[in-house]
Amino acid sequence: MPAKVSVIGRATRVHGRVTGGGDLEVDGFVDGEVAVEGDVTVDAHGMVGAGVRGRRVVVRGAVKGDLVGEEAVLLEEGARVVGDVRAPRVAIASGALVRGFVETGDSNGVPAKVARPQVAARVAPPVASAPKPAAAAAPVATVASKPSSAPSGVNNSSANAGPRRPPPPVVPALKKVKGQVAKRKER
Amino acid sequence: MAGTVIGAGITIEGDVTADEDIVVAGTVRGKLSTKESVTIEHGATVEADVVGGSFAIAGALTGNVNATERVDLQSGARVIGNVKAARVTIADGAQFKGNVDMDV
Repeated sequence: MPAKVSVIGRATRVHGRVTGGGDLEVDGFVDGEVAVEGDVTVDAHGMVGAGVRGRRVVVRGAVKGDLVGEEAVLLEEGARVVGDVRAPRVAIASGALVRGFVETGDSNGVPAKVARPQVAARVAPPVASAPKPAAAAAPVATVASKPSSAPSGVNNSSANAGPRRPPPPVVPALKKVKGQVAKRKER
Repeated sequence: MAGTVIGAGITIEGDVTADEDIVVAGTVRGKLSTKESVTIEHGATVEADVVGGSFAIAGALTGNVNATERVDLQSGARVIGNVKAARVTIADGAQFKGNVDMDV
């Protein structure tokens, strides 16, 4: 009679693995891995104490484990997740609580892998140029003269910042710009 | 309306404990217990000791059955194990191997 949809009811506790095909709805407690080929819904009263894998994983309850969606993971209001979230599409609604690593994109991870090196590249130059400010005023003068060929906006800002002796954060910020300009010139 | 439904494609390996009705159309290996009714549908496979209020069994069950009320083995059921309940019925066409204890 009831065919494809499986339900772990509100007054039911499962200690062990739940696997197989079809959709699964968890409104009770599952202390074990859940791996289903269809959609998995963890309802507001549902709790899963281990990883959840499904085509679409929708969470309104609590999960302590990794969430993996073949298509998507949707964390809706009331969701409490402690664990990593991985799916081509991940949605975290307002009111959902998550503690863990979230990665969108399929197993190829094309968008994620492109994004990470960019972040690294931005972070790296200031670290490399950090020792330079300690080298006193002489470098500042030379740098100020160099950008004269650069756009006037950059030139003015660097000239203004030099004599003021502003708080340290400003100098690295300018160094960053100079470093990028210099790199562009080199290329 | 059953509280818990274990669908035809689903396999549970472990213990299932409930305070509500359970319908099994899939596979359960381990233990299964509830205070309410348990329905094991045709095509379901249960390899577990089961405890419940009342049972309607049309699928395959390997394990002992302990019911507070009744156990009905329906036609097509295939049960290997001991059955303990106040009332037990075995329909024509049900396969059964095990002891029956009806608290006489």
